[in-house]
Amino acid sequence: MTTAARILPVSALILFSVSQATAQTATSHIVSAANSFLATLDGKQRQAVLFAFDDEQQRKRWSNLPTGIVARAGLSIKDMSDTQRNAAMALVASALSARGFEKVQQIMEGDEVNRINEANGGGRGRGRGPGGRGGGGLLFGKDLYYISILGTPSEKNPWLLQFGGHHLALNITIEGERGILTPTLTGAQPALYTENGKVVRPLAGESDKAMALLNALDESQRKQAILGFRLADLVLGPGQDGKTIQPEGLKASGMNDKQRAILLDTISEWANIVHESAAASRMAELKGDINETWFAWSGPTTVAPGSNITAYYRIQGPHLVIEYAPQTLGGDPALHVHTMYRDPTNDYGRKAAAK
Amino acid sequence: MRIALAAGILLVAGTPAFGHRLDEYLQGTLISVEKNSLHAEMTLTPGVAVFPFLISSIDTDADGAISQEEQAAYARSVLRDLSLSIDGQRLTPRLRSLRFPTIGEMKEGRGEIHLDVDADLPAGGRNRNIQLENRHQSKISAYQVNCLIPRDLAIHIAVQHRNYSQSLYRLEYADTDVRADSPLSAFWSGGLGWLGAIALVLCLRALFLWRQRAGRPGPLPENQTFAATLD
Repeated sequence: MTTAARILPVSALILFSVSQATAQTATSHIVSAANSFLATLDGKQRQAVLFAFDDEQQRKRWSNLPTGIVARAGLSIKDMSDTQRNAAMALVASALSARGFEKVQQIMEGDEVNRINEANGGGRGRGRGPGGRGGGGLLFGKDLYYISILGTPSEKNPWLLQFGGHHLALNITIEGERGILTPTLTGAQPALYTENGKVVRPLAGESDKAMALLNALDESQRKQAILGFRLADLVLGPGQDGKTIQPEGLKASGMNDKQRAILLDTISEWANIVHESAAASRMAELKGDINETWFAWSGPTTVAPGSNITAYYRIQGPHLVIEYAPQTLGGDPALHVHTMYRDPTNDYGRKAAAK
Repeated sequence: MRIALAAGILLVAGTPAFGHRLDEYLQGTLISVEKNSLHAEMTLTPGVAVFPFLISSIDTDADGAISQEEQAAYARSVLRDLSLSIDGQRLTPRLRSLRFPTIGEMKEGRGEIHLDVDADLPAGGRNRNIQLENRHQSKISAYQVNCLIPRDLAIHIAVQHRNYSQSLYRLEYADTDVRADSPLSAFWSGGLGWLGAIALVLCLRALFLWRQRAGRPGPLPENQTFAATLD
């Protein structure tokens, strides 16, 4: 069964629920999906899923690492029945755009590739569970993703939906009609695989559009954009909440309209993960900031056809930090990527919480 | 169903690397500058492959646990490998706090050592220049150094310079509460103060010697000496 085939039942469920209430706003639809999911759970499972909105520990309990290495809280897909699993994925899908949900599915499917490879005896690291070395616990697989809800699903009061596991951490704050997707980590390993003969690159847009932007710059602009030092990993990854680093590289005020359009298109790969109406207002905000937005690049300036870039890049503006960081980790950096998406002024919807 | 699904997936990727840091010791440093002090948050993450080389310098009694004394000693060794200066004047980094993971966490590549370091900044000119060199475990390390946007609105970051590995970092900034530098104060705050002081002392010494010689009867020509003797 392909990723698309697995998405269909979930999509059908969403379309059905949407058709039942055509007047529903995006938020009421998400709240409805959240309540439907919660209704499938028993008391113990509900307890595992629900947290207080201001639970700082749970907010920060996300990572790029596999769940067997960094434990997550909430309820994992593997501990759900088929009905619960469909309801959980319908909830995630309701908060995301179609492409955003597809990206999430592809990241999870990439981890399934790791699981299969591990099961077949490949991989450098043997499966180790949290219990210790050689415990045989699972490190990889699409079932090892966790869902949690901070606060009470509401159309008015802010609440937070978390979904994540290896190479994925979605933190979606719902505040009225707003959907705030920061901080969110996406990643992929393998960042290129085939499924039923079709090549899948979960982060293709992130790679290709940034490459297009670099290629659209003239020599003088490239000199500003390309940093003369190596960046081995994310600077503002997990555990670095609330920090804003000094921007570097080429400021978009020094770009022409076409270059700025490519920059915005690159940003949209993250901003458009969230559902369409929230993405539209976020993109409007980021477009307004565009002349104060910086683009910096470190590493190789070419890419093999059909592959991912092996360079680090960062896009930073007053309300935005995006990092794309290929990982060497003993392998091909084109096949292992970490990315980070933040709003230093509003991670976890803190503006709403402050109100 | 899952087996069928698995069979449908063909790998293009080679053997997947383990999902965490492997063959490098990542040392990330975030610097915040204030008027009279500097704060550096260091996050040190040993990769799985380099951990065996590192552990003997942390767990020095090899008992499988990192005692508070061992933590403090290792933190001191990191600080010893740092060279920190402002305007050419050496600073003494001070350890404010530390946090260590377990050996097990480090073995799995998810252990982060956190060191919070402070340094007092002496008063200086408007334009200042901080330099940080990190030589700690240089053969196995990847460094990342960045400056946080200052909380003090009077402090404006001008530029950050780094070598390729980021082991050497230089930050130029301006404190706009300090009046604009005169060429002389710029000279003094530019790290040339000591050289200037030495040059000044040498000049004064030369002047003093010249005056001494000017005030004393100089050596006379041979014939005059002879004539004086005749007198």
